Amino acid sequence: MGNRVSGASEPLLTSATQSALGPAPALVNQEERSTHLRIIRPPAFSLGTILRGLKTLAHYSDLLYTLSMFRLNVRYKQSFLGWAWAAIQPVALMTIYTFIFSNVAKVRTDGIPYPIFVFSALLPWIFFAGSISNSVQGLVAHPSLLTKMYFPREIIPLSYLVAGWIDFLIASVILGGLMLHYHIPLTWNLLYGIPILVLLAAFAAAMALLFSAVQVRFRDVGLAMPFVLQVWMFATPVVYSLQSVPARYRSLFVLDPIATAIDSFRGAVVYGRKPDVYLLGIAAAITVVLLIAAYAYFKASESAMADII
Amino acid sequence: MIDLQLDGVSKKYIIQRSDSSPKRWYRRSFRTSKSEMWALSDITFEVKRGEALGIVGHNGAGKTTLLKLLSSITAPTEGEIRIRGRLAALIEVSSGFHPELTGRENVYLHGAMLGMRRSEINRKMDSIIDFSGIENYIDVPVKRYSSGMFVRLGFSVAAHLDPDIVLLDEVLAVGDVSFQAKCLDRISELKRSGRTIVFVSHDLASVYRICERAILLDRGRILMDGNPRSVVAQYQKMALAEHGVPTLLPANTNRPVQCMNISFASPDSETVRTGYPMTARLGYRASTRLRDVVFRVTLFWPSGYVCAQLTNETAGSGMTLEPGSGTIEFQCPVLPIVPGLYRIDVSAEVNGRELDLQRRCATLTVEAGKPVVGDFFIENTWSIQDAPSVERRASPPAGLT
Repeated sequence: MGNRVSGASEPLLTSATQSALGPAPALVNQEERSTHLRIIRPPAFSLGTILRGLKTLAHYSDLLYTLSMFRLNVRYKQSFLGWAWAAIQPVALMTIYTFIFSNVAKVRTDGIPYPIFVFSALLPWIFFAGSISNSVQGLVAHPSLLTKMYFPREIIPLSYLVAGWIDFLIASVILGGLMLHYHIPLTWNLLYGIPILVLLAAFAAAMALLFSAVQVRFRDVGLAMPFVLQVWMFATPVVYSLQSVPARYRSLFVLDPIATAIDSFRGAVVYGRKPDVYLLGIAAAITVVLLIAAYAYFKASESAMADII
Repeated sequence: MIDLQLDGVSKKYIIQRSDSSPKRWYRRSFRTSKSEMWALSDITFEVKRGEALGIVGHNGAGKTTLLKLLSSITAPTEGEIRIRGRLAALIEVSSGFHPELTGRENVYLHGAMLGMRRSEINRKMDSIIDFSGIENYIDVPVKRYSSGMFVRLGFSVAAHLDPDIVLLDEVLAVGDVSFQAKCLDRISELKRSGRTIVFVSHDLASVYRICERAILLDRGRILMDGNPRSVVAQYQKMALAEHGVPTLLPANTNRPVQCMNISFASPDSETVRTGYPMTARLGYRASTRLRDVVFRVTLFWPSGYVCAQLTNETAGSGMTLEPGSGTIEFQCPVLPIVPGLYRIDVSAEVNGRELDLQRRCATLTVEAGKPVVGDFFIENTWSIQDAPSVERRASPPAGLT
């Protein structure tokens, strides 16, 4: 057998010796490997896309949480006043609108002090407007995220929504303080505020998804957003009440879910009124249709975002 | 079991003119100024469970597009991709970082973007920090980090994913030497534990090291699919064809000594093969009588590093040449280098002074000969020592006791 030249028999031997060393501790349970099959096809606008999208979104729910927390964290990180900023904007707006609409021009408030009248509408409006304008800029602000990593893109606009929601909760403390100060009685009708806010959030989500998806393709959306929101605010009963609008125009407001939501919210919280179920029903129907359409549009354009951003 | 399956996948990009002046905009409504670009066309291949596949090709061949398709960053225009199991893409490992957040906060954020659960990140946090080697800076905003620390942390998070399929894109080219070694270890670990790996790299040496199969992409199509050595060799041949086949420069008679030509041959076969004899012939011309002349034939790896050198230098001195032409013949009884395409430099020195140097003037193609593991074939002999004899082992087990 003596001096025989022999080359090692290639890969078989290596892998055998290597596996004898054993895998690293962190990477053992190969038996539990997922065999879940995922099929990627060219994008299409379909019901299946929506369902698959929601499933993936649920899987990434921790990212939505983490990203929302960090939105707040980053926003107030190097600021001296920190979280107080969540209340400063609505309080400042309340002050100037109170000055204008109680001194310069009179607005009918049905016996409610103007500061609390306007503040109870400003809070939901700022949540709505803030989440939308942040979402629209947010998706295009970090192109490297979109071109280098995959996660459901709707998490970016939705995280601004969640962050806006938390700002809303912080500023609500001020609303509570104002209500105590002006001796506004608390009624059980206040609880109607909760479904109204859900409606508001759903409508904000629909708008944020729609506008941010279009913004990726046409930056015009981002440029138009500030004045669109300004016009929209004055077209919404924030600084005035829906009751003070002439009856022949009032039916137009029915088509704007945000107008219904804000007026009903103020009615339930400040006036202790039961909301108009008929109006809310219309607003909810419009919102649901828009939300489904916006999500389907967002998911259909999602895969092209990395290509065109 | 098939982990990855691509079936007729194509990807079209629409290239729009970036000129958006009103005039252009006006014209666009009448005729389109868009042009189409097929980054990938009709790509079909499969990757088996536990296989490590390398993808090589020139810039713009479609490698990155392929990775983006596999990681769902973008969608195919045509065709279908089937992915079995959890897939993690280690592409630009720190792109999810936010400068204002601390290292620890970024681990949460980046981990979540890679699809990790919060509980999973909590569990692996210590190990991630430990792997990154930047414990002291973990609670500092990452905007204060050096670029190396940035990448270390990013890779640490990615390395702690527990995927079934790993996509790697040049991630090895980061960090310092010790960190690179760590990354390579981690990748071997992943491979050993049966993970499927798809690796895109220009570092051809690491394609050899990691992959047992490779695909050559060219202008969006698969040109070759096979073992990494032959795919890389083909890739290099293409690169050479593009730059023209190298030749020795025409003779410059002013020089006292000049390399004229170089050729490689095998004394007993058509091709030069690993583990078999090889002869290299270097033709020269000398214009005067020269003492202490040293010729060098240097072989370069595909990566550009020096692989080996043939020289007539003995004990620090060369030979004496008479005026006229001649040929130096170098004989290698056993060629130890692995199959592949090597590029060649030839040079001539007189008294330690370089009189002629011709860079990358030729190529050497080494074909598969004796089997090799690693970078070199080491000729060896073996025999059994200090062991029971073959006859005793062959006898029935009862006889042993």
